[in-house]
Amino acid sequence: MRASLLLLAACTSAVTAREAPMPPAREIGLDTTPKERRRMVPPEVYLRAYLGWFGGLAPLDVQARAKPRGLFDAWDDYLAALGLPDYKSDLPRQGQTNTLMLATFGRLGEALCVRAAEHDLHARQPAVVFTFDPDVHTFEDFLPRFDVLHRTFLGYPVRLAPADRAQKFFALFTQVAARHVKKNPLGPEETAWAAVCAALVQHPEAELY
Amino acid sequence: MRRRTFLKLVSAYGASALAPRPLWAAVKDVEQYFIFVHAAGGWDVTLWADPRNERKGLVEPASTDNTDTAALTRWKTAALDGDAETFEILAPSDVPMRFGPGIGDLYDLRDRLTVVNGLAMNTVSHPDGTCFSATGRHLAGGRAPASSVDVAIANELGTGQLLPDVSIRFPSAYVGESLDRRAIPLRVANAGTIAKALARSGAYFNDDDRAQITALLTDEAHALARHSTFPETFERIAAQETALPDLLDERLKSAMTQKALQAAYPGVPLQAAFAVDAIKRNLVRCVGIAIGGLDTHNQNYKNHARTLQELFGTIATMVKLLDAARLSDRTHILVVSDFCRTPQINLAGGRDHYPNNSALVISPRFRRGRTFGATDAEQLLPAGDKPLSPPDLLATFLHAFGIEPRRYLRDGEVVPEMLA
Repeated sequence: MRASLLLLAACTSAVTAREAPMPPAREIGLDTTPKERRRMVPPEVYLRAYLGWFGGLAPLDVQARAKPRGLFDAWDDYLAALGLPDYKSDLPRQGQTNTLMLATFGRLGEALCVRAAEHDLHARQPAVVFTFDPDVHTFEDFLPRFDVLHRTFLGYPVRLAPADRAQKFFALFTQVAARHVKKNPLGPEETAWAAVCAALVQHPEAELY
Repeated sequence: MRRRTFLKLVSAYGASALAPRPLWAAVKDVEQYFIFVHAAGGWDVTLWADPRNERKGLVEPASTDNTDTAALTRWKTAALDGDAETFEILAPSDVPMRFGPGIGDLYDLRDRLTVVNGLAMNTVSHPDGTCFSATGRHLAGGRAPASSVDVAIANELGTGQLLPDVSIRFPSAYVGESLDRRAIPLRVANAGTIAKALARSGAYFNDDDRAQITALLTDEAHALARHSTFPETFERIAAQETALPDLLDERLKSAMTQKALQAAYPGVPLQAAFAVDAIKRNLVRCVGIAIGGLDTHNQNYKNHARTLQELFGTIATMVKLLDAARLSDRTHILVVSDFCRTPQINLAGGRDHYPNNSALVISPRFRRGRTFGATDAEQLLPAGDKPLSPPDLLATFLHAFGIEPRRYLRDGEVVPEMLA
């Protein structure tokens, strides 16, 4: 009898002790601090992105398209330099970026941006990357066009980027255009857009996640 | 200042001044170059460093039955038994060393060689033996758990160089958060790749355009680092971008192409030519290369001695080229392999994997013309209660250049007898 009373008392107290309700979601402090260092995008992802940016071509088609005028060689030459495992040479995947890897990505990026400029801006074929008219006279002309490329390569609008980024790229654009008034298969503004593209495709935010 | 404080300061300064300076503090500033060679596949040490020409215990020596001797310049015939003939061991009078015929042209440089025999490998796996020889640690979960010797050297002595560590198929491993990111090895499949990766078409952009793009990206990386919780990654990218314009220098690119190297060093294997040329141009601190073809389990063992001869011929050529450039007193060569091959010949006519090894050092910091370590006569296994192992050799190598081995190696003891 005594034990039963004790059990009843214990159960009763458990039922009557009400827990405080959870606070509304908007009041909960969410920890959004990054817990991991940024890492290099795996080379396969990077290459897939490249193939997508430049029209969804197959790797061998990209190679064939990029090769003329010494812009590129063959994928086989760069497997290890890009960080990919090279099973033919028994080289493992590389865990860290190095200067040579950046140089290789630079070569690839330059090749594909130039080809895209030739395709989209020069030959005026259905645009893949440069989906805009290349003529730029002022920073106001430049900004919306740059925003298109910024969204394409870095994945977000330029207005969310550090405030001076667009100005820096505009400086690059104008100076490259000024240096290429003549002697180039592309026009000055087309070359300048290719340079902006090449810089964006090698941008730290494009290479890291 | 109170008298007691003054005396404390004086005594502290005096103690620090009188304390013996470690060796690494004394020699750290001197400019040195390093070539690391991986003899890929596992070599037969009885054909060069630990020669055997008698049947004894498990040992079945190389003979005319299992070896193609036609191209071997150092093969002098000696009687074995029956119709088979073996080789005469090379035992020069000027140094207390013995070699097999695989040593080839390197025999002429014997007074500059330091050979280590009887290295206990505790493995017969290619990846594990390779990792153990280069890092002093066995694989853990399929990965190298420590940095390789070239990375350690590059981290200590090479971060100021344009290319601290170029690794052409050498089993380089960069492990650890405390290392300088500039010491990350540039791993490539062949020497020509480097020039190709640096090549740029002149048809569209010029050097000014590229310099401006690089400067912009460096600036962006620094700006992102300032706002990042973990700025190191962006700073690393910035440092690498900063190094790019020097790499893209036209003279460097044109000299490093396969064509240019072959023209400048006719008949020299490309990766060896790259190593010598990059050292002569003061571009690198460490170059790692791999020379393969030694994994001979079957009839291809007939060519093993010839492959060794080519390997050591390449090393001899590098030393002579460095001599001509007056760099050999500042260039240090370490040659390692996965493991050695079995003392017995298998049913297929080849030799399998065996947990013993040898290594070769060519460096003025080491006692030259000497062989260290030993193996037993009948089983070709490391002799003694506490045989040498790769971590001992690597610790000694690092110590020779003023580097505290414990920074990079968990195991291994410095062997002072090996040092000059």
